[in-house]
Amino acid sequence: MTKSQLITIKGTKDGLVLRLDDHCSFSDLLDELKEKVTGSVLEGVSEVQLHTGRRFCDEQDMKSILAIIHTSPNLRVSKVHSDVISLEACEKKLIEEQSETYVGIVRSGQVVRAQGDLVIIGDVNQSAQVIAGGSIYVLGRVKGIAHAGANGNKDAVIAASWLEATHLKIADKMEIMTDELTILSEQPEMECAYLHKNGQIAIDRLQELRHLRPNLATFKGGI
Amino acid sequence: MGEAIVITSGKGGVGKTTTSANLGTALALQGKKVCLIDTDIGLRNLDVILGLENRIIYDLVDVVEGRCKVHQALVKDKRFEDRLFLLPAAQTTDKSAVNPEQMKKLVLEMKMDYDYVLIDCPAGIEQGYKNAIAGADRAIVVTTPEISAVRDADRIIGLLEAEEGIEPPKLIINRIREGMMESGETLDINEITTHLSIDLLGIVMDDRNVISSSNKGEPVVMDPTHPAAIGYRNIARRILGESVPLMTMGKSKTGFFGKIKNIFGK
Repeated sequence: MTKSQLITIKGTKDGLVLRLDDHCSFSDLLDELKEKVTGSVLEGVSEVQLHTGRRFCDEQDMKSILAIIHTSPNLRVSKVHSDVISLEACEKKLIEEQSETYVGIVRSGQVVRAQGDLVIIGDVNQSAQVIAGGSIYVLGRVKGIAHAGANGNKDAVIAASWLEATHLKIADKMEIMTDELTILSEQPEMECAYLHKNGQIAIDRLQELRHLRPNLATFKGGI
Repeated sequence: MGEAIVITSGKGGVGKTTTSANLGTALALQGKKVCLIDTDIGLRNLDVILGLENRIIYDLVDVVEGRCKVHQALVKDKRFEDRLFLLPAAQTTDKSAVNPEQMKKLVLEMKMDYDYVLIDCPAGIEQGYKNAIAGADRAIVVTTPEISAVRDADRIIGLLEAEEGIEPPKLIINRIREGMMESGETLDINEITTHLSIDLLGIVMDDRNVISSSNKGEPVVMDPTHPAAIGYRNIARRILGESVPLMTMGKSKTGFFGKIKNIFGK
């Protein structure tokens, strides 16, 4: 019986694509991978894209695959592509991309939390807190505490009609609004707070948001 | 069946008890049958302001623990025939002597016999507050034009809004010093109402007569020449459903006392 190939290598304009069979046993796959890698004759360093198909590889599996490939000095994995993710990861992603809406005033001492983005239609009063895993958008005044990217998302922003917060937090960075920042906020312009490249929280006009965080937009296409 | 209204504020010293005493008196003056309940167990004051301290025999805790009947504990204010009663708080124990279920039952019972049951709430958001709001149908939040008082009012409003069975709370701004408000030293009425965004029930001027009359045991509202009395009387009329315009403050040249004369001239 001839052994069918478990690993196919293809050359594309983006480099080599290593397609791993997703039906065979994992140990067979590793064995053939070893063979292929040691048997390869390549000059220089080639970038390799890994396609695992419908095989679910956990961290440990992926480590063993990468370890084998990296035994060759000529190969470097640039990207791993998989057709499947775990249910857990999927649910987490769904929640993160969800947007929750709170209508009303968040009053002193109240805390409004969301796993993903948070939209508040109303004011956030002094000593009130709004906390979101994603970004926070407020149609109203933020006079209390706003914490965006609470799970560590540094790209999260806080946008409000009036940004007069006492404390702004993005990911693990906190900014106490000084007088200077408050004076800026008194301009009758809508503003957004984001984490600047220098690691500090910066405040800018809301109009700049599309340039600062182009990925926030989910609306694609159009003229 | 009457209505139970809780008077609360979060912060202490803004005039909850004074407001309770004066609104109760004002409603009695309007011919309504009113019962005031002091829920500030351990730190009771309402009896003093009404001048009924020496007539207390039983108190709220005696009633809920079944040591006496409700009517035995009620102190009648003789100035208003059969229209104003006080259920005093106990002074020798603390807030944990009563629980919200007992209060709910008690207030429901009282509503059968009275047009208005006014519940004077203690400061804070703990047990005493929970007892006070348990049986209430409506809530009045008292604040002063100070940031600290407004902050606490905001907190209380949040808690009241989360409570089922209580109508959206109404606001009283107490102890307004017109001069300071005009010069911007204190928050103005607009700032407070937009910040808290609840309906304004009325405003009460800061008035030295409030203190002197409280010390005498005669609520200030009984003498309609005092500025604070007008505020309280207007609020009482609004509680009864009348629409009374808000006292005007400020820019005209008549001055404060001139304006009060105007109000009476009408």
